[in-house]
Amino acid sequence: MAKINVVAERGKQEIVITRVFDAPRELVWKAWIDPEHFQRWWGPKDYTCPFCQMDLRVGGKYLNCMRSPEGQDFWSTGVYREIVPLERIVYTDCFADAEGNVVPATHYGMSADFPLETLVTVTFEDSEGKTKMTLKHIGIPAGQMKELAGAGWNESFDKLAESLK
Amino acid sequence: MRRDVFQAIADPNRRAIIGLLANQKLTLSGVAEHFDISRPAISRHIKILAECGLVVVHRKGRERYCEARLDKLNEVSGWVEHYRKVWEQRLDRLDEYLTELQKKERDHGEN
Repeated sequence: MAKINVVAERGKQEIVITRVFDAPRELVWKAWIDPEHFQRWWGPKDYTCPFCQMDLRVGGKYLNCMRSPEGQDFWSTGVYREIVPLERIVYTDCFADAEGNVVPATHYGMSADFPLETLVTVTFEDSEGKTKMTLKHIGIPAGQMKELAGAGWNESFDKLAESLK
Repeated sequence: MRRDVFQAIADPNRRAIIGLLANQKLTLSGVAEHFDISRPAISRHIKILAECGLVVVHRKGRERYCEARLDKLNEVSGWVEHYRKVWEQRLDRLDEYLTELQKKERDHGEN
């Protein structure tokens, strides 16, 4: 394939955040994968996390709830794609209802342009006695990406292509 | 099938096509020349990009001219802005929590 740079500004389609925590890697990891710890910090200031369930294995699901100071609940769910203890965790992230069904962002009054499914990758590294954590969140619908890259283009796409010929 | 800007940029070939068209208006064959993949495959990508609103195709005689509509990419940044804020706030909390947790452990150890 020809090497062409994408002009669309980098950083506008994905979020990359790096933080250094003054804590051992084991503790930072635990804060992410242990529901009891997780509930203590999941959510912006003054938000609480009244519910968190994690089936921590590849293909396993999680469901958690973030409660705003006004009492509005934001449920989210997803599937673990990759788990490397103390190193890396990859999971999909979707808005959900309290039963764990995926719902569009409009369910919570947010833009219909929000992707239905996003992908979060968190990596953990030692850094001079501290822990460097890198979080990457991409708005590419992971399910669709797999579909597109998988068995090739399906028949409906072939039909669509016909009209362009 | 859902058609949105996220789907448009999910594929590396489509990202490359957007990049190429961002600088110049090109015919379908003109686009295809830049890639090793087949012309029908390029057509399919262009079709999806058009349906996602990122590319407009004009017919002129026998040729089809493809033009990029990059403002559509802003939809993506709206999503990114929202989540970036949420993540920064969550991670502030995580930072505080880790500090608190270690302080407790230390205090406990001293007793």
